[in-house]
This record gives sequence, structure tokens and C-alpha cells, in this order.
Amino acid sequence: MLVKPTKSDFKVIGYYLGRISLIVAAAGCLPLLWAVLTAEWHPFGSFLLMIGVFTALGVLGSRLAPRHPKLDWSHGMVVVALTWLVVPLIGAIPFVLSGHFGTPLDAVFDSVSGLTTTGLAVISDLDHLATSLNFWRHLLQFLGGLGIIVAALTVFAGPGGITLYLGEGRGERFLPSVTSISRFIWTVAAVHLVVVVAALTLVGWLVLGFEVHRAAFHAITMFLAGFSTGGFAPQSTSIGYYHSAIFEAVAAISMVAGVMSFGLHHSLWRGPRRDAIANLETRTILSTFGFTLLLTLLGLAATAAFTDITGLTRQGLFQIFSAHTTTGWATISSTELSGWGGLAFGGMALAMALGGMGNSTAGGVKALRIGLTIKAVINQVKQALLPERAVVGNTYYQSGKRHLTHDTVMAVMTISLLYVALYLLGTGVGVAYGIPLQQALFESVSASATIGLSVGVTDPSMPTLLQIVYMLQMWAGRLEFLALFSLIGFSYAAVRGK
Amino acid sequence: MTRTTRLVIIATICLSFSGMASAAEATTVSELIADSEALAGSEVTVEGELVGDYGFRQDGWMWTQLNGDDYVHAPIVNGGEPTGGNTGVGVRMPFELGEGLDPPGGYRNRGPIVRVTGVWKHHDPARQGESYLEATSLTVVEPGRPRSQNPQWPAMLVGLGLLAGSLVLWRTSRGDQTGPK
Repeated sequence: MLVKPTKSDFKVIGYYLGRISLIVAAAGCLPLLWAVLTAEWHPFGSFLLMIGVFTALGVLGSRLAPRHPKLDWSHGMVVVALTWLVVPLIGAIPFVLSGHFGTPLDAVFDSVSGLTTTGLAVISDLDHLATSLNFWRHLLQFLGGLGIIVAALTVFAGPGGITLYLGEGRGERFLPSVTSISRFIWTVAAVHLVVVVAALTLVGWLVLGFEVHRAAFHAITMFLAGFSTGGFAPQSTSIGYYHSAIFEAVAAISMVAGVMSFGLHHSLWRGPRRDAIANLETRTILSTFGFTLLLTLLGLAATAAFTDITGLTRQGLFQIFSAHTTTGWATISSTELSGWGGLAFGGMALAMALGGMGNSTAGGVKALRIGLTIKAVINQVKQALLPERAVVGNTYYQSGKRHLTHDTVMAVMTISLLYVALYLLGTGVGVAYGIPLQQALFESVSASATIGLSVGVTDPSMPTLLQIVYMLQMWAGRLEFLALFSLIGFSYAAVRGK
Repeated sequence: MTRTTRLVIIATICLSFSGMASAAEATTVSELIADSEALAGSEVTVEGELVGDYGFRQDGWMWTQLNGDDYVHAPIVNGGEPTGGNTGVGVRMPFELGEGLDPPGGYRNRGPIVRVTGVWKHHDPARQGESYLEATSLTVVEPGRPRSQNPQWPAMLVGLGLLAGSLVLWRTSRGDQTGPK
């Protein structure tokens, strides 16, 4: 029997939603401060309004506090799903008021794209956008990449913290408590922030010849987008704006850090370091990266798009790196990217669909699921070929030797299939609107796997329904379905339950 | 010299000059992006706004971005309609062309609108496959100018009101929790 949620259930959800709103309100003070420091008074007002709305929501939610706000599994999942709906909606206020979006839906689209670390954008005239608003776009990606919930758990963690943590698409517990995991994640982010921002500022200032404050602006925004594998950039021509292999290489450090699981970061920092290479996840992502790179380079070589090997290598390597890490920066225009056919297209689409590591800031199906699926298929084939009584080894190494159980395979296959279904959903809607299959598929995978590379389909003039479908894809893809299904189930129970 | 001869000479001179003028093909930024490969190596003249940064590098080149979209003449900050993304290409030019230009376009400035003549480099092997315009001459069509936007007073007031209301509500709820029963 479907149990109707009680008032107390709603109160618990409202309470935690309120607490998280207060954390986001605090984060919103950063662009507000930026606007003050740069005397950008027009966006200042919109940031103040946004912070006011988040704070009001937070205080109202906190007032709902039941005597013992105990968060169970379903509450946690619903809180996560609602957080990822409410934050982009309110976070879009400065975008709506900026005038850089044709409709409020466009502003929400960019906000969802930012928070889910996708990077698809329908913003108009980005090159004249206020720097504080540009900073807010990138900060949204950083918050989304690390996880709003992770941010919240660092400040307040209760007995239900683990539910919130898992609901945000994170499945690995490499430290005993959720609070310690959250703090470790923020430490990793802070260290990379200091190192990469310093390095990019120096490159911008000394190599690219920018004014030092502009070099710092580019460094901060590019780090926030890179580490979160988000893919926004402060200028309309993405990372191609810099025309610098050195800048791309340094920015790639943040992409690598972002695509690595935080468990792997932990192994590298505190040992055992052999896990970094021995883990099935690491070996899988290195293999798929090599394979998709080879496909793309062969495809580009066949089309003679580049006349020399250095151009082919640098451009092909960067695009595939950006796709596989699910970042979405590009050194070439979307017009040119849309012309990549055959193997080059296949390599790019495959890299995007596979995605990065689990428990990282990256999207896509994720390397561990791919590795486990391949292992399960190989085992099945072995079992079929060997004599009936032969025993096939059913273990894999992932921070220790583990057994590949039937339940694990089922869970992995289910999520993987859901991703494939999500890719096909957006493709189908795109094709229904008359978009060529190849472009519709590319853009759909880009949205679902939270990449952000575009072949030109994502545009302010795109059909409204397609825009909404892409937003749903980004949302579901970022949260890896569980929270989404929980919200649907909870809503259904609220209406039809007894 | 007969009148006919004079006419022939004048016509020849005019044709020569017109030929010189058309050696660099007039095009747009959008066409450079759309027909990048077809225009590779050709001399083109493009008009647009310089935006972003002026990067004076140690190798003697200055890099910037040339935008050729609706916002060159009607930026959103000045009430232009949002019609889509920017359309821009990278430009590199010798230092002497880039020196003395008004600040590049951004939130605070409308950058100088310039007419750039140069060679379109498509997947330049010398720069590992980058595409950009290598400028040989530059004419400022319209100088850059500073821009400003007024504060959004209504948003600011509503925001402050919400914050004040939240504070009152928070203090009230604290009183409820800690006050005598």
C-alpha cells in the first residue's frame, strides 16, 4: 500500500531544504562582494534580491523544524532532488534581471546548465556581461561540481547526512564519516584552487600579456569551470579565446583533478598510492580515453581536416580530453565541430557518453560502471566457452579486492541503461524537431552526460520543449536518477497515497 | 593627347585602384567561421568590435578578439535585444597596430569598431591548428566608449526587505524557542 506522506514528512523536508538555502545564500554573497569591489551596481541589486529570496526560504524552512528532525532515506532523496530544482530557479534571478536572456526560461536553462556542470549556454552577448555575473555563472558550476549538499554537509551534518550525500550521485565512502568526506573534498578543491589559479594567472599575465587583474579574472573563472568539469568560459569563444597551448595545458590540470574520483584523490594524498593504478576504474578510464582518442585522431586524419600532425594532435587531443572529462571547453567553433563526421564524431560521442569517474565532479555513465559491465560480459563469455565445471574468477580490484556479485552487475547495468535511455530521449525529441540525427544525438549526449560541447543546436532560438527536455536530461544525468525517481515516487504518494 | 586616349588612361588608373581595393575580399566574421576552410590563406577585410583583452606577447604579436554580431552596434547594456551568442574570431597583429587602441569591449566599454585587413589562417600548422586572422592593417571606424548601467533599485529594495523580514522572523523564532514556556 502506498503511504501518504504526513505533515511531519513535509516539515522535515522543508527544514533541510531551508538549511541548504541558507548555505547557498551565503555562497551568493561572493558575487555580491565581487559586484561591490568592481562597482557593478546593476548586478549588485539582483544578487541582493537572490540572497534575500534564499535567506527567506531558509528562515521559513528552519521555522518548520520538528522537535527531532530525523532524516530518513526517502526524505533525503527528496531534499536532494528539490534542492537541485530550487537552487537553479532562484539562482537564475541575476540572469533574468541582467537582460542577457530572451526569456526567463533561457535564464533558468543556463542556471541549470551551470549547476549541473553541463556548460551548454543560451546567454546572449556574453562578451559584454558584467564580471560579477560571469563569476556567478562559474561559481554555480563549482557549487554544482562539488555538490551543494557536500557544501551543506561541511557545515551541518546530522544522522541523515549519508542519505543526502548518496542522493547527489556519490556512492563511495572512502572515509568513515560524511563530514570528514565533505571536508576532504573541500580541502582538495581549495588546494587546487590556489595552485591552478596562481599558475593560470601567471600564464595569463606573463605569457599571454594580459593585464594582471584580467589574468586573475580569467584564472579564477576558468579554474571554477575546469575543476567542476563544467565548461563555462568567460568569453564566447571558450578556451579557444586564449590561443595558447600552455594555457590549455595548465587549465587541463583542473580538468584532470575534476574528473578524478575523490577516493582516488584520497589514495594519492594519503595512500595507498598503488590504488591509483590498480583500481579497475582508473584502468578503465585510461583505456577508454586511449581508445576514443585513437578513433578521433584517425577520423580527423581521414578527413584531412588538419594538414599537419601537430595541429591534428593538439586539437584532437584537447577536444577528446574535454569530452571525456565531461568539461566541454572547445578550441574550435561549434560550426566546425558539427562538421566532424565518421570516426571523429564516433570518438567524441563515445567519450562524452562514457564520462569520467564516479564520485567526482564529472558526468556520464562513469568509468567504474563501464569497467564492471565489460568484466561481467567477459565473465559470461568465459563461462560459456569453458567446460561446465570450470570456475571463472569473479573478482575485481577497486580499493581492495572485491567480488563482482549479481546484484552489483544488475545495479550497474540498470543505471547504464537509464543513461542510454536518457541519451535516446533527447535525440528523439531533437529529431522530431527536424534536427539531423547526428547533431541531435551529439547535443543530447552532451546534455545528459553534463558535457557542454555543442554543435549549434543549443541556441536561444531552440524549441521550448527541446530546451525543457535538455534541462531534465542535465538534472537527471547529474543526480544519476535515484533522487529523481524518489521525488516522483514521493509526489505520487502525496497525491494517491492513503 | 586625344580625348579618347585621356579617357583610356583615366579608366586604366581607376581600374588599377579598384583592383587594389578588391585584392582583400570584404567579408564578415560569420562568413569567416562558416567558410573557414574555403577562405584559408586569402586576404580579407572584416569589420567588427575588439572585445575581451589585448594580449601583448613577448614574440611581438598582440592577440585579441574581433566580434561581428548584432551587439557591436546594439549591445544589451545599452538596450539591445538578446538575439543569441556572440560571433567572434581571434585576431593577431603586430604590436604597432595594436598600440594606442581604446580599451577592448566588455561590460564597462564598447570596444573600438575597426576594419581589419589581413590573412585568414585556417588550422595554421605554425600554431598547431589554430584558426585566426593575422592582421596587416587596421582602421578605427568608431572609437571605443565607456558605458554604464544604473543600479536596479527595485531589486535592491525587495532584496533588503526580504533580508530584514528574514532577520525579524529568525529572531522571533529564536525567542519562541528560548523564551519562557
